[in-house]
Amino acid sequence: MAAPPPPDPQFVLRGTQSAVHALHFCGGAQGQGHPLLLSGSLSGLVHIWSLQTRRAVATLDGHEGQCVTWLQTLPQGHQLLSQGRDLKLCLWDLAEGRNAVVDSVRLESIGFCRGSVLARGHQHWTLAVPGRGSDEVQILEMPSKTSVCTLKPEADAKPGMPMCLELWQANSSPRPLLLAGYEDGSVALWDVSERKVCSRIACHTEPVMALDFDSQKARGVSGSAEKALAVWSLDEQQALQALRTQELTNPGIADVKIRPDRKILATAGWDHRIRVFHWWTMKPLAVLAFHSATVHCVAFATDGLLAAGSRDQRISVWSLYPRT
Amino acid sequence: MAVFDTPEEAFGVLRPVCVQLTKTQTVENVERLQAQLQAVSDSALQELQQYILFPLRFTLKAPGPKRERLIQSVVECLTFVLSSTCVKEQELLQELFSELSACLYSPNSQKPAAVSEELKLAVIQGLSTLMHSAYGDILVTFYEPSILPRLGFAVSLLLGLAEQEKSKQIKIAALKCLQVLLFQCDCEDHPRSLDELEQKQLGDLFAAFLPGISTALTRVITGDFKQGHSIVVSSLQIFYKTVGFVMADEQLRRLSKVQAKPAVEHRVAELMVHREADWVKNTSDKLTILIKKIIECVSVHPHWKVRLELIDLVEALLVKCSQSLVESAGPLLKALVSLVNDESSEVQAHCSKALRHFADQKVVVGNRAFADILSENLHSLATSLPRLMNSQDDQGKFSTLSLLLGYLKLLGPRVNFVLNSVSHLQRLSKALIQVLELDVADIKVVEERRWNSGHLSASPRTSAAGPRRQIQRRYFRFFTDERVFLLLRQVCQLLGFYGNLYLLVDHFLELYHESVVYRKQAAMILNELVAGAAGLEVENLHEKHTETSPEELREIVTSILEEYTSQENWYLVTCIKAEEMGEELTVKQSGLQAITSGAHTCQVSSFLAFSNPSPTICSMNSNIWQICIQLEGIGHFAYALGKDFRLLLMSALYPVLEKAGDQTLLISQAAASAMMDICHACGYDSLQHLINQNSDYLVNGISLNLRHLSLHPHTPKVLEVMLQNSDASLLPLVADVVQDVLATLDQFYDKRATSFVSVLHALLAALARWFPDTGNLGQLREQSVGEEGSHLSQRLATLEEGLENTTTAEDIEQFLLNYLKEKDVADGNVSDFDNEEGLGCTGSVCGSSTVPQEPAPSLGSSDLALTRAPTHQR
Repeated sequence: MAAPPPPDPQFVLRGTQSAVHALHFCGGAQGQGHPLLLSGSLSGLVHIWSLQTRRAVATLDGHEGQCVTWLQTLPQGHQLLSQGRDLKLCLWDLAEGRNAVVDSVRLESIGFCRGSVLARGHQHWTLAVPGRGSDEVQILEMPSKTSVCTLKPEADAKPGMPMCLELWQANSSPRPLLLAGYEDGSVALWDVSERKVCSRIACHTEPVMALDFDSQKARGVSGSAEKALAVWSLDEQQALQALRTQELTNPGIADVKIRPDRKILATAGWDHRIRVFHWWTMKPLAVLAFHSATVHCVAFATDGLLAAGSRDQRISVWSLYPRT
Repeated sequence: MAVFDTPEEAFGVLRPVCVQLTKTQTVENVERLQAQLQAVSDSALQELQQYILFPLRFTLKAPGPKRERLIQSVVECLTFVLSSTCVKEQELLQELFSELSACLYSPNSQKPAAVSEELKLAVIQGLSTLMHSAYGDILVTFYEPSILPRLGFAVSLLLGLAEQEKSKQIKIAALKCLQVLLFQCDCEDHPRSLDELEQKQLGDLFAAFLPGISTALTRVITGDFKQGHSIVVSSLQIFYKTVGFVMADEQLRRLSKVQAKPAVEHRVAELMVHREADWVKNTSDKLTILIKKIIECVSVHPHWKVRLELIDLVEALLVKCSQSLVESAGPLLKALVSLVNDESSEVQAHCSKALRHFADQKVVVGNRAFADILSENLHSLATSLPRLMNSQDDQGKFSTLSLLLGYLKLLGPRVNFVLNSVSHLQRLSKALIQVLELDVADIKVVEERRWNSGHLSASPRTSAAGPRRQIQRRYFRFFTDERVFLLLRQVCQLLGFYGNLYLLVDHFLELYHESVVYRKQAAMILNELVAGAAGLEVENLHEKHTETSPEELREIVTSILEEYTSQENWYLVTCIKAEEMGEELTVKQSGLQAITSGAHTCQVSSFLAFSNPSPTICSMNSNIWQICIQLEGIGHFAYALGKDFRLLLMSALYPVLEKAGDQTLLISQAAASAMMDICHACGYDSLQHLINQNSDYLVNGISLNLRHLSLHPHTPKVLEVMLQNSDASLLPLVADVVQDVLATLDQFYDKRATSFVSVLHALLAALARWFPDTGNLGQLREQSVGEEGSHLSQRLATLEEGLENTTTAEDIEQFLLNYLKEKDVADGNVSDFDNEEGLGCTGSVCGSSTVPQEPAPSLGSSDLALTRAPTHQR
């Protein structure tokens, strides 16, 4: 018999009628109904998909037709952040079938940089978004929307625009840390409260498009416009160290995500492919060919389901190496 | 016409006639007396009762031979008097009783005297009337021990008549009279109930007759079916009332406490029976034999009223004599259970009522709970079931399965005690699997093809809204009777309803996997289990039973569905399709598709089937049936889950729709009816509605299967059907699939062109239908083209316009020539000379704005654009 047929998506969601730029899974784990998948599209709509019926249950229209680039639900549940290229960050209330904008934050930067959020206690969270200056990152205290600080690189660094952000917090200390990937291909670790760069490494020669960080193993991965993934780690002195690079066939990584169980990692490729790697060894596991255009984003659900959104207007959902 | 109201007047009239009769006893004189009696009022008659009776009794008692005719008229006259008067004296009652019974006494033989039938009838009626005319108090005292010999004579006389007479009328009259004598008459003249002491008295008395009565009646009951049902019914009644009275637990319990011997004369005392423990034991042993005989005979009696009476018998005996007749409890219950499925609805209803009564009341038989006896019976039935199914004929199977069904109904949730025993479950399932084996030798199954590949029937067939349609006719190896199949289905449904569904489904899925020989039967059983679990067509006798929760059921159905529609169980070889596809595809396919071996009807060929790539008729037949059964199962599942099934449509609808287009008639029929089932169960108005509402699920299946076309050669067909049955809302969903189709067409244009062209045709027809006027076309383009500029939609729109402008053949030809040239130019393989000419041509095409673009690789199209750019400038 011939080689097994290439894997297929478990199912495909159609009907966004526009390129998909952001994906986010929510719900299901805490018994708050069936899990949902949220997708943000180029046309500015956010679709809420039921993974049970595999149909859109609601559509949120809050970004005046401008591309939605980032979606994130808050840990308290029922609240959704959506970032759009209309320079607005909307906070939605989704509880009990509502879908209304309850608050919004004006953004200063028009770039593609996605925000990042870190929960700090009940109803209290820190938000990182690209700031007014082209190389700045702004830190806000939410929900009061008070600006805490602006992280501006030293004058001589010239890293260019921030391209991707990741707020996190080490288990040992309560100080929020920010990982930022810059236009010049470097990744910097910021200590938010001291407003200083702890460490910076040049990972790529092209702009960093996406990064994800595994705080338990203190290891992160970043993808850029070039033909490689960079894996780096963080030592006790909070210094970033490049570990290795993983060469790819085609250039351009739009998104990279580590599965919540830290076993595998998925990338969204400009070459229409989704690639799956073993997170610890970085061994390539699969190349998922389904989309017929650039894959913009990937997302993992808590149960391990993988979703990918593409410019071909489809969202493919995959069940890979399911945990037993 | 009561002319003589006062006794005085009446006496005046009657006296001469009575005197006359006393002097000369002739029929004429008796008749004269009777004629005069007609004219006397009842009250006057009562006053003169003794006086009138005297000449009549005198006639009877007069010594010497008498003519039968005379006796008969005397008895008739006596009966007349008694029917209008009351007997108020104990002595008179006893004497009249003896005198009447003596009329049929023949000194020489045991049998009733050889007299005319009329006389027999007259005497029987006389006795009956006498007992009715006795005053209540007198009647009770009549039944004292001293009457025993005389009563015994009458009873045996009547039994003899009932058993041996030819005339049906006499038989019935004798049985009726016996009922009166045994205090079982239900007419209004005997309203009073007996107190404990009286009951005991009567019980002691009747106990003496019990052996005679029970054996004689058993002979009557088990006699010829042709003797008429009313005789059997009455006999059954007397049987169980007598047994139920004499052997009543209530009486016997009291007797064991008080055991005072009644003071009677010696001769009578010998006849008296004392119902001690020994006697009870002996009698019940003997009765058990009789009861078994009766049940054996009556439960298959052709007349339903007889079977109905049997239920009463069982009920009465189980309720009243559960202790004394403990040995008979098993057979009695079995009889009841086997009637649960009677062909007569009255019997069925009555039986279920009785059973429900037993189940509710938690009746205890002997020292064991009712349920224990039942599960013991079920255990032993399960043990012998495989053997019975093997050896019995259809009728035998029918009654065995009826019995099984009855036990299941009765035990309800407690069937799990039996199912939890591995060996019993195995035996039960083995029997079911064995008996459900299909006969797959019929060649027609493979032969019959669906020739018309027309549309799905557009009408919703609302008339067929009844919950379940007819099942396809199946042919089984081991039985032909449809009723057996029906019973088997009911058995499975009940198992699903009461049994542990997880356990059962696991078990049968295992069998399904185990061997292709079991697969079809296991699937049939699984289908019915699920239907039963959902409570479809199941009548619940047990109030407290909790049904399987919808979530659990959905989980179970999902796993079965997954199994059914998996590659190796759904895509089976059902025809030799070498003519249909290219060589390499066939090779690939035979590797993947499970070529199931023939069922063991064709064992010789089944061995070959593994090595031989071309499957045998038998194995294809078997495959066809398997698919049909699985399709039918999907229909069942839809009903079982109702609207919940909508969630499963994402995995079920595509496979079913695919099979609806199957070439084999049976499969396409089964698929069509499964679709109808889904429609009804999920609340869709029509097939179109179903397809339209779930086109997203279908598109998903189609697009994924298009990726593996060699495995799913029918995918284009499904797309076609979907396009035919959807509305414009489908368009945004289908755009990328049509892209895929075009890409695949490029890949397989030599082999699959026909199927894809028909898809594209369906698409265009659908577009023409969805957007009937040109005004809408613009909108469509805007809507679906988007800023990315889908080549496809442009192309469609272009084609659409072309269609509407009634393109001629020349136009098309010209278009194609131009296109080919343009393509050559794009590929750059043209000479300079050609190039100029070609450019001229393309220019004209561009001018008419109908430039088709390369569909697939984007590089190609950009080349095309580059090449074309100068053209525009010129």
